[in-house]
Amino acid sequence: MAESTRLTPVEYLDRFFDELRAEVRSNPKLAARLVKALGGEVVFESDDKAEVANPYSLAAQGSKAKFLSVFASMKLPEIKKVLKENNLATRVDMNGKTADQLVEMMFERASSKVSERSSSIF
Amino acid sequence: MPALTAAIANLKGGVGKSTTTVMLADGLAHYYGMNVLVIDLDPQANSSQMLLTERGVQAASDQGKGTHHLLGDFVAGKPAAAAPFIMPNAVTLEELRLAEEHDERLGWISSLPAHPQLRLRELGLEEEWYSKAGTPTTLSDALAAYFRKALTPILPLYDVVLLDCPPHLSPLARAGLALADVFITPTIADSVSTWGTKQFSEWVGKFIAPDLPKRNFVLITRFRDTKYARQVASDLREIYLKDRWFGPTIPESVHVLNAMDRAAPDSYNTFRGKYAGVTSDVRRLAERFTDFMSQRTGATWQKVRD
Repeated sequence: MAESTRLTPVEYLDRFFDELRAEVRSNPKLAARLVKALGGEVVFESDDKAEVANPYSLAAQGSKAKFLSVFASMKLPEIKKVLKENNLATRVDMNGKTADQLVEMMFERASSKVSERSSSIF
Repeated sequence: MPALTAAIANLKGGVGKSTTTVMLADGLAHYYGMNVLVIDLDPQANSSQMLLTERGVQAASDQGKGTHHLLGDFVAGKPAAAAPFIMPNAVTLEELRLAEEHDERLGWISSLPAHPQLRLRELGLEEEWYSKAGTPTTLSDALAAYFRKALTPILPLYDVVLLDCPPHLSPLARAGLALADVFITPTIADSVSTWGTKQFSEWVGKFIAPDLPKRNFVLITRFRDTKYARQVASDLREIYLKDRWFGPTIPESVHVLNAMDRAAPDSYNTFRGKYAGVTSDVRRLAERFTDFMSQRTGATWQKVRD
């Protein structure tokens, strides 16, 4: 929305970055995308990591320890959400499994899919 | 009674042939308890991948299963037999898997899967065949005769055989069309798909099935409800393919995309969990196709689930 007040270029940029900062604070997915776009490494420490962590890209890095450091500390409903949203398990597959078993399943299936899709089957 | 064989085919790519194949297999097995055999003749192996996963397709190939191995037997001059190349446990639905475990016959899905090697093997065969003065038509006829002989002993085991055909007319693809009792033509409600569908329909009517209108089940897939799409769909029904049997219109949906992505070879889902917001569309597809089958064969099928 345009304003009638005349601003200097620096003031316009300040406003823009203020808005961006505010959005990045409240939107972890955008924050992770921006960090990646700038060439940085996303570290999953906050409570909202279930929103951001991508099991495929973590599995593609090849370190099970790093994978577990992100997902093993999640609560059961969060693990189920990640599995479901990434098409790594159905509700039937998850029935009766513990958090540890589900994280193991997540690693196995994500690693398997990454490996299938990155190699030629010819 | 031998199975009814349906070719899911259209020269236009991207119209949902493989998705229709899997939806129909699931719908017929789940609602009617039919035993369905899915034969993938498309080297892209999409329906095989949807049923077995990528890893499953490769594992099947490594175990000697698949249409490319059957084609290999043709090349080697071996006797025609399809049974050794079929994966009998291709179902992804929990209800059907549990029914099987409890020895209750409530539908089953088997897969004679494809693999990208299929096209390479077919190309090798074509090189050899044409070097001996053979023609695409004689090769297609020979393949059709071989596949028919290979399938005949096992047809009584199934209610329906679904042939997922590639979007081209290679000798093997033509052989697949020649095997079909009926033709399922998925198409999209846009002008290029309408044109491609009409061309394909005329070709099949001229060279494969002169009585095509009686044997053709048309399905508008990936439908986006716009004024333009409604107009194109209406033109298809009322002008271009007005003498055909139409199935329900399948909407463009993220549920369909998700439903076709099996998490792992040991992953199962409930029917409702798999199809979510398009469950009723898949049910109507199965109902409508069963009506079409009844009209063709005189046989009737009772629903085993609502």
